[in-house]
Amino acid sequence: MKSYHDITGDGGSRVLDQVLEQRARITAGLAGVRHLVAVGSGKGGVGKSTLTLHLAGALRARGLRIAILDGDFNGPSQARMAGVEGALFVPGREKVALPRTSNGIGVFSMGSLIPESEALDFESAARGESHTWRATREFALLGEVLRSFEWGTLDLLMFDLPPGAERTVQYADYLGPRTSFLLVTIPSEVSRGVVARSVAALSKDRHRVLGYVENMSGYFCRDCNAIKPLFVSPEASALKIPCLGTVPFDPELARRCDTGIPLTDLPDTPVGKALDHVAQQLLDSLEKEAST
Amino acid sequence: MKFLCVPCDSPMKLQTVGPPERGSLSVVYACPECGYEMAMLTNAYETQVVQSLGVRIGPAGAAAPDADAPAQAASKCPFTAMIPSADGAQAPARDSDPVRWTAAAEARLANIPEFVRPMAKTGIEKFARERGSLEVDEQILDAAREFFGM
Repeated sequence: MKSYHDITGDGGSRVLDQVLEQRARITAGLAGVRHLVAVGSGKGGVGKSTLTLHLAGALRARGLRIAILDGDFNGPSQARMAGVEGALFVPGREKVALPRTSNGIGVFSMGSLIPESEALDFESAARGESHTWRATREFALLGEVLRSFEWGTLDLLMFDLPPGAERTVQYADYLGPRTSFLLVTIPSEVSRGVVARSVAALSKDRHRVLGYVENMSGYFCRDCNAIKPLFVSPEASALKIPCLGTVPFDPELARRCDTGIPLTDLPDTPVGKALDHVAQQLLDSLEKEAST
Repeated sequence: MKFLCVPCDSPMKLQTVGPPERGSLSVVYACPECGYEMAMLTNAYETQVVQSLGVRIGPAGAAAPDADAPAQAASKCPFTAMIPSADGAQAPARDSDPVRWTAAAEARLANIPEFVRPMAKTGIEKFARERGSLEVDEQILDAAREFFGM
């Protein structure tokens, strides 16, 4: 009797063929993107989205063509922070135009579509059993976004990943070997421990990890114009990946994120300088990687 | 998933996909050698897992069955339920004047993924109305792109 692998094709359902066709269209759509960088952590609340947006701003200020895909479909924040809440999705002759920030960064975020008072919901015949299918459906949605929007010619497409070490790995598997990872932690042992797990998980399948950024590394006090400690954490980081820089917390940055105002006029502040340094380190890492 | 006719040792071919019923699909396969037919009846979890891949099930060229059809009778979009306020019928009364779409603009609308289409359509119609137009043509679409700096 024939086995599964003795039979060519699937009898007509074309499920696998369709999945492969979807992948091919994603590859074609991203052909003009030089670098794919996923900003993740594993830990929630460490400032991945904030860092993604402001790193994108620092890179954009260097004249690079940048776009952000907010991969957190369930808790999107880029639309508000980038000032593209309520942006229209306008169809072109082939694809959908990407909403842009005032400083020219392309941003896809489900937050442009869905008001913050509502949750992302999928109609399903298997309601109440979403643990069996929800991740698959979200990744199908990610695929549709990647295939349908005009990414065009970009120097960097940055993925703002959702929290969760397992999600980081799922994105790595889905996005494939073209994607490099930048991880974000804060100066606490709890956060470093979670990020270390993400590093271990990514390393298992040899996904490329460029390094990490330590966010909220002290806070910038505007009254005394000094950086003061925010976390008491005397231990040096045990993360065995390069540190691309440290970024202090600046309440002004948080205020601007809430109101969707870019950081472009704060380059001389400690946080502006720190972001600029991380942006350069990131570019150096990507160029080094590309040359090897 | 593949099906094998054991007596003929021959791969069976998909014939039809029945309309969804309470989350179940009826997929009929037949043996090209002996003509024996069998039906695969999926449970809701199986239907949902396959649909979550974003694929169509059915013979090449056939219309896609939609297991969520009862909940989405007004739309073939499987993602419509994700956007509860996307239905144009919920627009404010002052925006209730129907907006026509030219064939060319309608063709471009079809390029939008199904899950964002209802919202995108509503937003573009609002954009058109605000400019005193009750017709969306390619010029309106281009104006929207320019307006939003795309």
